Amino acid sequence: MAKEIQNPNQQQTLEKKADKNQENNSNLNVWTIISLVEFVLILFLLFRLFKRKEKPTSSNKAFSRDEIVNEKIDYENILKSSFQARDLYDKLKKKCHPDRFPTDLELNKIADELFQEIQKNKTNLKRLEELKNEAILKLKISF
Amino acid sequence: MLANAWNKIKDWFRDRNDRNETVRDWNNSAKDAFIAGIVPAFLKSRITKGNSKYKHKFSHTFNTGFRVEVLAGRPLTRDDLIFLGDVILGDTSLVRKLVVLGFDTLEVHGENDSYGLQWQLITYLELGS
Repeated sequence: MAKEIQNPNQQQTLEKKADKNQENNSNLNVWTIISLVEFVLILFLLFRLFKRKEKPTSSNKAFSRDEIVNEKIDYENILKSSFQARDLYDKLKKKCHPDRFPTDLELNKIADELFQEIQKNKTNLKRLEELKNEAILKLKISF
Repeated sequence: MLANAWNKIKDWFRDRNDRNETVRDWNNSAKDAFIAGIVPAFLKSRITKGNSKYKHKFSHTFNTGFRVEVLAGRPLTRDDLIFLGDVILGDTSLVRKLVVLGFDTLEVHGENDSYGLQWQLITYLELGS
């Protein structure tokens, strides 16, 4: 009698377990599909990344790339030039204009060369300061 | 093919590292210059999305913009931004480095992304120099 009473409960628990397993399996299947889709997506993106043909060869690229990337950049000059180069350039272009030396041909020539250099380096404070010193020496002017 | 793929993965991570290092070096120099009173504003740099129309051979897939934000405490004029861009583009070593590292757009912005300008880096690259 005891056995008969237990059986229905056991059967119920077994049925419940079977349902749960089925549910788990269906969940697993969904996650498996999602992970497969992600894997395919990653492969596709990697394929696109490696597909580019026009990039230079790795050995040539490494040689020139490292040289360029490791080159020392004068950030301080760039930062100072952003705020100070304009004023210095304005002063230099007035003081070193060749028209200020109409009579002396030699000074006129020097002023012309300096003026061209000043025009080329109008955003480079370091170079402008060097040109300023050169102008003081060669053109005998004061600032 | 596997070795090639592995090298490309290594290159990709190396590029990312170099790009972040460039931004870090710029920001450290800008911070030091601002604190020392050498410059009146803090020029903060960061990597941005960039402009897709400015792409070139070495452009990265994502985030190809190099932005410099001028934290001056006052709004900047268009001329100020243009001059700042000219100063940065005038340094050929920096432009070359930015192009090689996959950047294609230089951006200069005022504070709070209020107003900014963009330049295509490859047009300022002196080839063969």
